[in-house]
Amino acid sequence: MSLNQDAWWAVARSEEVTSEKPLSVDIGDQPVVLWRDNQGIARAMEDRCPHRRAPLSLGCVRDNGWIQCGYHGWSFDGETGRLKEIPNMKDQQRFPPVYKANAFGVTEQAGLVRVCLNPNVAAPLVAARRYDYCGTANVSLTHREYLNALYDDPSLLFSIRGVHFTSYLMAELHEEDGKLVMERSCQWAGMHWPAHFVAEFPLTLLTKTDPVTGETELLLRDDEFRSLFHAVLAPVPSARGVTAVRWRASQGARYPGLRGALLRGINPLTVFSSVNGTKLRTTKPSVSMNGEDLREAIMEGAQPSPGQTAAA
Amino acid sequence: MLEVADRPTSHDDVSTTNSGKGTIALNAVNHWVPHDIVMRDTWFPVAHNYSVTGKPVRRAVYSHPIFLWRENGVVVASENHPNEKVVGEKSQYTDARGRYPVMEHYGVVWVWFGNPLAADPVHLPSLPFLPPKGGLPRHMTSTVRFECAAPISLENLIDLTHADFLHADVVGDERSDSETVETFFDSETVTMVRTCTNKSVAPVMKFFSGIKQPTQNVRQVIRIYLRSHCAIAYGRFTPGDDVPLFHPCTPETRDRTRMEMVMNTTNSDLLFRHVMPKAGYKVSRQDSYMTSPQSPRYMRDTDRKDLHSKFDQAGQRYRMAMMELADRQAKGDFAYRDNVSADCSEIIGLRKELFQF
Ligand code: FES
Ligand SMILES: [Fe+2]
Repeated sequence: MSLNQDAWWAVARSEEVTSEKPLSVDIGDQPVVLWRDNQGIARAMEDRCPHRRAPLSLGCVRDNGWIQCGYHGWSFDGETGRLKEIPNMKDQQRFPPVYKANAFGVTEQAGLVRVCLNPNVAAPLVAARRYDYCGTANVSLTHREYLNALYDDPSLLFSIRGVHFTSYLMAELHEEDGKLVMERSCQWAGMHWPAHFVAEFPLTLLTKTDPVTGETELLLRDDEFRSLFHAVLAPVPSARGVTAVRWRASQGARYPGLRGALLRGINPLTVFSSVNGTKLRTTKPSVSMNGEDLREAIMEGAQPSPGQTAAA
Repeated sequence: MLEVADRPTSHDDVSTTNSGKGTIALNAVNHWVPHDIVMRDTWFPVAHNYSVTGKPVRRAVYSHPIFLWRENGVVVASENHPNEKVVGEKSQYTDARGRYPVMEHYGVVWVWFGNPLAADPVHLPSLPFLPPKGGLPRHMTSTVRFECAAPISLENLIDLTHADFLHADVVGDERSDSETVETFFDSETVTMVRTCTNKSVAPVMKFFSGIKQPTQNVRQVIRIYLRSHCAIAYGRFTPGDDVPLFHPCTPETRDRTRMEMVMNTTNSDLLFRHVMPKAGYKVSRQDSYMTSPQSPRYMRDTDRKDLHSKFDQAGQRYRMAMMELADRQAKGDFAYRDNVSADCSEIIGLRKELFQF
């Protein structure tokens, strides 16, 4: 998979990035190490020490915020990637400029840490939000297959307690403000008529997907157009065809009665770490058939946002 | 920092390295693909001699199967298991009966991998701190496996700055008043000598050898026999112990290494004598933590150069010497230009009086 070098990938939840222990993530087949420096700023570098290629994520974060390789103890500054210290050469203060590791761009907003492989691309602005729940799931599906499954049958990938996703759509996949948008009819779980005999559906699930990263906003609404539940799902292509999914979710308007109570309670969203292969194989591609074309059309027609022009 | 400042073991023997044309240039160390290096016409240590009994045990060198057992007390090394119906083609490394040249020495079983007719005990590495007939107690021996290419394990060994850091809890940290590293080499060996004055005392000696002083003078020698992938790690600690270690890295496959380790702690106090060989288990896991993820990253050549510090000169020299030898072997030249069995006591600075056999 040829990855978009200019995209901002939500590779971690804020609370996963600490000064205690470096975190290893991937963007495609690029291993990335994340940590938080002494000023609390999230840093990202290639997870490969330029000395003898050991993963930097096996090292540690020093009190001054540098990351230190666990093998021979070389220390690097996260902002520039430059080598700062070699244990047996502490008197040496400066190293030639080639003595550096690859540092990547990092931005942290709305509880997610996003990394861009191209350090010259300005970070996007993301609206701050309150989130009640969060999680991480690693699924052995490629990024594209993950999104195709999301379009064709979201119940392959996650569940919302008390909610049944039907196969009927209110709106097929289309473009809206540069996003891939669709809306699916849902029912309350439990006893009800099979979806194909139902005249009115009480709920819909609206999804808005970024054409580049696949980052998707989920919105569950009832028939009075109240937002009941909101989530952000960030699938990132990772090593060996795995998709790493970070997610955050929050409650919306209060739905009355038992059904509303079921939806509130403890976290109602479960993002699966594995897919049912039998169900996946027999899921007919429908929405996804057009998804790829639409995605490419959006990206071709896309005007680069002000921040992205720098990299072009 | 990229410079290598070392010199041949014998100053008059400049023909083989450094200057001659067709030799490996320094930049070659940045195209180091250890998995592509296959050494032959050499003795590989494959087993402690007590492991070989009447019942065949299986070993491998570069994935070639080797079965070892004893017939009337004499070790046999065969490419087939005695119960195996032989159907496949016989390898070029064995005789008409499918047997490898094999010998016992230093308490270890050695198998000759290469042209069987070229097998000669004169090519056995010199290990002057081990009794030639073996017989050290078993607690001074162990088997350790690594999930990496054998040269990666050896590169790890010859670079001692990692020890101060990765093994600081065993050997002490990097603090010392002065530190020098010297490298010597010939066409078959690379030897590194590191001397530190007033280095932080090794915790393992503080606790188990009763060293009271906060620092000690340290002289560490790593000597690698390129073909056989055998190494000597010899540390002299003052005050402290003399700890010579036989550290072979036998390439069972191109990315998996077997070490039949022998540490001669006969001269130490009872406690240290028993504890130090076991420290190898801890140290090897620490190494493995780094060399396992490191190894696949060296499987393919890349344009990205490794960065080096002045302490990496021995490692760089090891890479170059291995590549030179591999280059010669690729051209069909398997001759030894230097004698690996010549007593290396002087080179490694062995205190001979402690090791009389
Ligand atoms: S591999 Fe990172 S410091 Fe040596
Ligand atoms: Fe080590």
